[in-house]
Parts: sequence; structure tokens; C-alpha cells
Amino acid sequence: MNEKTATFQFLGLTFNVGNMVSVLLACVVVFCVVFALSRHITMKPGKGQNVLEWLVDFTNGIVRSALSGKVANDLGLWGFTTFLFILISNLQGLLLQVDVSGVTYVKSPTADPIITMTFALLTLTLAQYLGIRKNGYKQHFLSYFKPFKVFVIVNIFEEFTNFLTLGLRLFGNIFAGEMLLGIITKMAVGGGPLMWVVSLPLSLAWQGFSVFIGCIQAFIFVTLSSVYISHKVDIEE
Amino acid sequence: MFSFSVVGTSLYIGNMLFVLISFLILMWLIKIFAWKPITNMMEKRSNKIANDIDSAEKSRNDAVKLAQQRQSELENTHQEASGIIAQAKQTGSNQRDQILDDARKDAALMKSTAQKDIEQQRQEALANSRKDVASLSVEIASKIISKELNADDQKALVDSYIEGLGKQNGSK
Repeated sequence: MNEKTATFQFLGLTFNVGNMVSVLLACVVVFCVVFALSRHITMKPGKGQNVLEWLVDFTNGIVRSALSGKVANDLGLWGFTTFLFILISNLQGLLLQVDVSGVTYVKSPTADPIITMTFALLTLTLAQYLGIRKNGYKQHFLSYFKPFKVFVIVNIFEEFTNFLTLGLRLFGNIFAGEMLLGIITKMAVGGGPLMWVVSLPLSLAWQGFSVFIGCIQAFIFVTLSSVYISHKVDIEE
Repeated sequence: MFSFSVVGTSLYIGNMLFVLISFLILMWLIKIFAWKPITNMMEKRSNKIANDIDSAEKSRNDAVKLAQQRQSELENTHQEASGIIAQAKQTGSNQRDQILDDARKDAALMKSTAQKDIEQQRQEALANSRKDVASLSVEIASKIISKELNADDQKALVDSYIEGLGKQNGSK
């Protein structure tokens, strides 16, 4: 992880090359994994199909734990893709970090707040959309005035805190993991052969822990997203 | 343009768009290549399992029904068989009685015929013997008569006989 980033301007928008490469790589990895697992789909599942079906059941289970009915069916694909993408994104930086002259090009995409915030924004936009689709505009926006009118401030503020916590939780966990990994690596590279011996087990242990954190965070992100959506879809009276 | 600070890093709208678009494309690709086939197959499988359970239930019911039918048929057959046996026994005993009856009648008839025959033969024999006895008695009588005649009488008798012979010859 480096603070310097390579950026360029296009149509008045700023693009970060490192993020783009990382996101693309994560997308390609996710797609390749899913594509490879979904070949030869038969009534009697083979190895790959079993893995894929287990994943589908797992993410469907997350979504269905908070939601039900048509919305849960519609969100199955979203939950599956989000879970896999975030999972691969979290693990990507642990396997592969490419720095070219101090600028990071490949890392965990989720170690950048922009990307986690984008996912948080996507979730909350989905929540608004599904809430309106289920309850209609009037019901949906009236729910901000519940349980009584003054709560509108709290409710609107809550939307922002949801957005921030959802994005920053993921970012913080992954970023901290990569940061510490970077420090251990720097220590190893800078301290000579003895430091290699010391920092290798350290690095191993921390990578293992980061894998655990990465999986947990992907699960938490999808779970919390489902819960936020369910708050908007099933309005409590 | 929209460059303001969120937790110390500058906000790149371009990046957000890029992430969004690439995520949506990824979602779309997964939907086409994996999600649809796999969920279709899972649904098909669950339908198939439900159908299998239903048909298993149905065939189990059929089997139970069939077994009951067999059982009742077996009982019917049993009854029928015992009926047939009873009937056969009845017919047999009837026939036996009739045969016995017939035999008895035949025997009686034969006995009476034989008695008649015997009677007739006895009568015939009696008649014959009577005839024989008559002739025999005549002979015996004649023999006795001829033996008791003394010489005079015999002479007279012979004379009369000769006389008779002479008459017979004379008339000739």
C-alpha cells in the first residue's frame, strides 16, 4: 500500500488507475471462478456445481434471513455477486500487490474507501428503490416521520450513518490488514536476513488472520445490506 | 470537479462510476453464465424431488390397494375352493348312495329271478320225478303182479293173453 496513486482526468472525472486495475482484476477472477464452476450443469450435480450451488444457497440464506418473498428472490443475484466480489476483493491484496515506482497498481479494491462507499451507496439506493416499489412513494417517505414527526431528523441522519458505517467498516478492516502487512513487509525488506526470519511467521499469521477477516467482512457486508433493505421494504408500524 | 475529502482521501467520481459499471457488468455476466442455469437447475431438481415424493406416495398407496385386493381375492378363492370341495363331497356321497341303492335293487331283482328259476326248475324236476315214479311204480307193480301170480293164474293169464292174441290175429 502506498499513498501515492496514479490518476488521470477524463471528461472532467478523475480516475485512479490502481483502483481500476484492481477492480477489473477482481471482476475477472470472480467471473472466471463462477464460469468454471458453472460448466456442465446437470440434474445430478458434479463437484464444481456442488460448490456453486452451496455458494448460491449460502448467499440466498443470508438474503432470506432478513427478507422474504419476491424481494428476496430478486436480490438473490445481487447478494451472490456482491458476496463473491467483496470476498475476492478482500483476499486479492493478500495474494498480490503490484507496486511500480511507489505507485500501487494491484491491491485489494476494498482497501480503498471510494470502492466500499460505492457499494454502500449501491445498497442504500437499492433499499430506497425497493422500498418505493413495495410500499409506494407516499408510504415510503411517510415512514421517515415515524414513530413521530421529530424523528425525521434522526431518520435522515441514520441514512447517512448507515451509508458511512457500511462502507467504512469494510474499508477499515481491509485497509488496516493491508497496512500492517505492508509494514511487516517493509520491516522484512529493510532489516536484512535476520528480519526475514522474524517477519515471515508474523506475516504468515497476519495473512491468515486477514483471510479470516476478509471472509467475515464479506459476509457482514451482505448481511447488513439485506437488513438495511429489509428496513425499507418492511416498514414497522 | 467533485473533489472533496472523505477520511483523508480525495473522492474520485470517475472511480465510483467505474466500480459501479464494472460491478453491474459482472453481475450481468454472472446472471447469464451461472445464475440462470444454476437456479433453473435447482428449481428443476426441487420440482423433480417433489414429484418423486408424490409419485412414491402414489405407488405406495397403489401397492397397498393391490395387496388388499389380492388378500380379498385370496379369501374369495379360499371360500370358493372350500365350496367346490363341499359340493364335490356332497355329489360323491349322493352318487355313492345311488350306486348302493341301484346295486341293492339289482341284487334283489337278481335274487327274485334266481328264486323263480329255482322254483320253476324244482317244479319241473318234481313233475319229471312224478312221471318217473309213476312209470317206475307201474313197472314195479307189474313186476310184483307177475311175481305173485301162481301157476294157475299164470296159465289162465297166458291163456287169456293168447286168446287175445288169437282174437287179434283173427280180426286181422
